[in-house]
Amino acid sequence: MSSGREDDFRRLYAAHFDAVLGFAIRRTDRPEDAADATAETFLVAWRRLAHVPAGADQRPWLYGVARRVLANQRRGDRRRSSLGDRLRRELATAMPDTSDEVVQRADVTAAMRRLSARDQEVLELHLWEGLEPREIAEVLGITTTVVRPRLSRARARLRELLGNDPVPPGHPPSRRPQLTRKEQP
Amino acid sequence: MNPQLTDDAVAALPLHAGRAELLEEIMQTPVLDDRPLATPDTRRRRGWLAPVAAAAAVAVLAGGTAWWAGARGPDPETAPPVAGGGPATAGAPADAYRAVLDAEGWRVEDVYDDAKQDTGDIGYSKDGASLEVDWYPAAGYDSRYDDRRHITDPPSDGSPVDLLGLPSSMWAYSADDHTVIRPVENGHFLEVRGSGLTEQQYVALLGQLRLVDADGFEAALPEGYVTTSERRGQIDEMLDGIAQVAKPLLPAGMDRSSITSDQTDPYHLGADVTGQVACAWVGQFAEATRAGDEFAAQRAVGVMETSYRWPVLKQMDARGDWPEWIWSMADEMTAGQVPPGWRQSCAD
Repeated sequence: MSSGREDDFRRLYAAHFDAVLGFAIRRTDRPEDAADATAETFLVAWRRLAHVPAGADQRPWLYGVARRVLANQRRGDRRRSSLGDRLRRELATAMPDTSDEVVQRADVTAAMRRLSARDQEVLELHLWEGLEPREIAEVLGITTTVVRPRLSRARARLRELLGNDPVPPGHPPSRRPQLTRKEQP
Repeated sequence: MNPQLTDDAVAALPLHAGRAELLEEIMQTPVLDDRPLATPDTRRRRGWLAPVAAAAAVAVLAGGTAWWAGARGPDPETAPPVAGGGPATAGAPADAYRAVLDAEGWRVEDVYDDAKQDTGDIGYSKDGASLEVDWYPAAGYDSRYDDRRHITDPPSDGSPVDLLGLPSSMWAYSADDHTVIRPVENGHFLEVRGSGLTEQQYVALLGQLRLVDADGFEAALPEGYVTTSERRGQIDEMLDGIAQVAKPLLPAGMDRSSITSDQTDPYHLGADVTGQVACAWVGQFAEATRAGDEFAAQRAVGVMETSYRWPVLKQMDARGDWPEWIWSMADEMTAGQVPPGWRQSCAD
């Protein structure tokens, strides 16, 4: 095993651990499920390191993997990861019941749950992860030209549910530079 | 339910030992396979046998039935190369690569048809459930198929489904969220995703899809969508409304006939039209600013400031955020700034 490979993975892990864990926490009911999804996601990245893109494309790639891992969990055929036992225990203890540091207001979350799965998904990636259409396309495996109108419609539907209350921009999800462009077609 | 913590809040959780231990655990696992995913061998494992019939009806076949090769795979000498983007043969006319739904009570929610990129989608809804049909050029088939294989762990070729006469693959994101990819036929392939539907409901609905050509697609759209014959008139109507307040409508040397669109949805048609007008003026502003041409720059700013009164944008504002983007560029220009990223956004 080359040390170069390990160094690359350590950098990837350090740069994106919080984001991947946050992605998983926001989409699961239990801390241990989020820990499992994070472990599985980085395990995939380790095994397929040669296919992980460079630079700004890394995070959408990891989100795409995490999305599929979570889909497996929801389908009920997940296997408890043999990795990350300590993370699972620590997260179960550390996870607050409530927090002010959340990505959006509770009423917006409630409204989003009334949207279709595809509308929810595209909005979550935009509002929670701060992804722009190009990055959302990467995560979902669809083209940017398809994401744009989809995002626009989803936002419009959410606004209708909120009674024309402006959709809040969401809490900046990470310390990385905000990627969302002003354009939100 | 986990609280929806921000990444900063996640970073502040006391997880240092667990985080470090996981990293080491992962790096101690063997690297089993780091080959590219889309190898010819991988794709061939999909193993379709010849379609039994070209009937449009959809039938989910129980695993291990006669034509589904399942785990064993077909005889490579006799199996047609359906997977991997190879040509399939349901016998649909060459230009009938879009699909529409003929099911009672299902309503068209959105339409996006991009002739330039050869792709599009149509979304339907009924009682909280939704069905989305996407069509793409054949070139994207392999990567799309490979992506969907990884919905399952370990990656799989999904469940066999006959969609519109071709053996296709179905995967479940959850118990009520499924997707199917249909192999390439006549240079295009379909993906159909259903949400809020059980597998049985979803598969039944797939059986009510119908392949259509461009004319058939337009004919299947409800009232309010713009047909090919109406499109030029609609574009001119939008431009006339803009020209009422934007003087001149377009920068010198640019003719209104250059403003075109393929869109059938009035919202997307409006986005195409206003985007082309606005981008023309932003382009002039950027060039004038670079060249120090104060007059040309001010003219561009003046026209863009009128965008708050463009009738088409006011109509679109209730449905989506496209107008916000145009107005934000106008605001930047008023402040003397070339809108950052405008060139990329306008190119998209």
